[in-house]
Amino acid sequence: MKRTWFPAVMVVAFVAAACTGGGDGAESPGGNGTTGVEHIILWQGYGAPTQPGETPNREADSMRALVEEFNTTHPNVSVEIINYNNDNALAKLTVALQAGEPPDVTYQYGSSMPQLAAAPGIVDLTSRVEASGFDWSDFYPGEREAATVDGRVLGIPALVDNLAIVYNKDLFDKAGLSYPTPDWTWDDFRTAAKALTDPATKTFGFAFPADASEDSVWHYDAMLWEAGGDILNADNTAAAFDSPAGVTALQALADMAVTDKSVYMDFQNTKIAGLFNSNKIGMAVTGPWDLPSFPNVNYGVQIMPMFPGGDHQTIAGPDNWVLFDNGAARLDAAWTFVSWLTAPEQVLTDSLVTGHLPIRQSVTQLPTFDRFATKFPGVDVFVANLANVQKARPVLKAYPRISEAMGQAIIAAMTGEKSPQQALADAAQQVNDILAIPA
Amino acid sequence: MGRLRRALASDHVAGWAFIGPAFLLIGVFGILPIVWGLVLSFQKSDLIDPNTPFVGLTNYRALAHDHVLRIAAGHTLVYTGVFVPVSVIGALFVAVALNRKIHLIRFYRTAVFVPVVASTIATSIMFLWLFDAQYGLANWLLGKIGVGPFGFFDSPRGALYAIIAMTVWGWVGFDVIIYLAALQGIPHELVEAAEIDGASRWSIFRSITVPLLGPATLLLVVWSSINALQLFDEVYFVTHGGPPPYNTAVVVWWLFSLAFRLGAAGYAAAIAYVLFLAILVLTMVQFWLGNKVVHYSS
Repeated sequence: MKRTWFPAVMVVAFVAAACTGGGDGAESPGGNGTTGVEHIILWQGYGAPTQPGETPNREADSMRALVEEFNTTHPNVSVEIINYNNDNALAKLTVALQAGEPPDVTYQYGSSMPQLAAAPGIVDLTSRVEASGFDWSDFYPGEREAATVDGRVLGIPALVDNLAIVYNKDLFDKAGLSYPTPDWTWDDFRTAAKALTDPATKTFGFAFPADASEDSVWHYDAMLWEAGGDILNADNTAAAFDSPAGVTALQALADMAVTDKSVYMDFQNTKIAGLFNSNKIGMAVTGPWDLPSFPNVNYGVQIMPMFPGGDHQTIAGPDNWVLFDNGAARLDAAWTFVSWLTAPEQVLTDSLVTGHLPIRQSVTQLPTFDRFATKFPGVDVFVANLANVQKARPVLKAYPRISEAMGQAIIAAMTGEKSPQQALADAAQQVNDILAIPA
Repeated sequence: MGRLRRALASDHVAGWAFIGPAFLLIGVFGILPIVWGLVLSFQKSDLIDPNTPFVGLTNYRALAHDHVLRIAAGHTLVYTGVFVPVSVIGALFVAVALNRKIHLIRFYRTAVFVPVVASTIATSIMFLWLFDAQYGLANWLLGKIGVGPFGFFDSPRGALYAIIAMTVWGWVGFDVIIYLAALQGIPHELVEAAEIDGASRWSIFRSITVPLLGPATLLLVVWSSINALQLFDEVYFVTHGGPPPYNTAVVVWWLFSLAFRLGAAGYAAAIAYVLFLAILVLTMVQFWLGNKVVHYSS
């Protein structure tokens, strides 16, 4: 789960999906021309590469550089990049599937995999990843889990991240506070957030993505698990987040947002990174992808606080490269590209530019890996934090609707519209109604 | 042979040849999706799984139990009810003000029209920062005169009105252009005659200008209402239907969310059809009422 807050927007009219239902009239854009070069289409969601004078978009630049390197070193394959915004990846793919023209390779959120499993043309990669030389077990277990639906490997990990506290050392010093420690509880976090907040300078102790999207939800999920709760019951048939643990976690957020007013509520979910970099936010709970956006801040990274009697947990959001079958030759070319892109050397090259956590465990053994933590201070905390990933979100087709209900509840409690208890009870009712519909 | 040549030369064939291209485009991009949407509204579909069973009226029955849809419909009506009169009446006054021979008039007219040409997303980004609750220019200026601060897009009660303000600003220029064209068509003799009879400027405006702008007003009211009921871009981009819970949710935003985010495209198509019928009926009522009131000159 990785938000690019790059403000690219795809406006798809609802009818646009309908206007090309079936049929295969137009010549597909990819394919083997007369030159003997296999042309494949890559959809990636990091936005466009940096233009002169812009704030660097390192993720897009890195992707562009890697693809250019691949095209040079593999003269019989030509990869064409199409840029979009990750948040629209599923919607855009939906339209392409209706048109019968899916891309050869597309970046998709791990949470979209259950829906994509039914997509026509999606490639079952199980035998390919199990072939010798690919070393599937080199990927972290949570990544492999998020790429697998009903025993079929349908994606290759593209990115893994997790949440931790990123804090502004200068603001802590100014407020006379000591930096977050690994022993912090959420009470310590709340006290610090309150002390860091200064209405006069419009400085906030904490910032929260408050658009009620999955981005809001996974921030809460980590706290829910730390408090000992869970999203659904063990057999995924009913909501479980309305437990006392769920209320504890949401109460902690509501205390800060409603009672202390120490939280910057980013209702559009576009401003947190920019404000943090402007020294207006004391602490953000975010992932490693944001670190390169903070050149103006003297920041530190610490693992998530815990609840009394609980433990430190976090949440990982592994995303995937998903392949579609546009003929055997193109599929082979696409596989050549993806297996090259996710090989240890390329993973490290990308990490050194972007700050992405390495998706393969063996990358940490590469000789130049120590440059990673030197270049991105604090990123070693995120790498170590992968060990605190104990639970994953349910892999269910109904998950987007569960997330929708939870997102509304979390923000309703953080704006004081409802009590945490009431908000979660209402959402649980909605979720149970959704789960009761036979799939 | 003679018969064929006569047939080819007939108006019939020529007519079809002329409308052919447009007919084809409208058919492919208009009629076909409309029919396909109707079929979809009777299916269970997430637009990904090719297995789409027919479920009869299930999607239409579900409309009654959708509390978000009820909220969204309420917001859509409030939005339309405020946006249409404010933008149309506002445009009337702006158009009258710009219908004069003053210095730099072309510049003023262009300035009013620029927001219409600018992309919705570009203006949305601008308003996001302008109306930012903590750091925005709007609150800073209002603070100078001792008003506010307002939450704007972050305010549960105010966000919808912030969207109204933004869209009125964005669309009023279009209405102004229509009104300016209509104002040029008002016969100068009528105004002159009234002036000679000693009518005040206000009574000329009320008794001559406004009635003669009737056809333009009817057009703008119908056109703005259709657009207002289909509000989507600004809500999708600026507020995401929020602040939660659903404080700026409108019908088209919700059906988009259902179709492309929540995997309920069949149900979303049913909402689209009901909205289509509602707009059709409203437009017919507006024309029927309008034609009783509007005065068409000559």
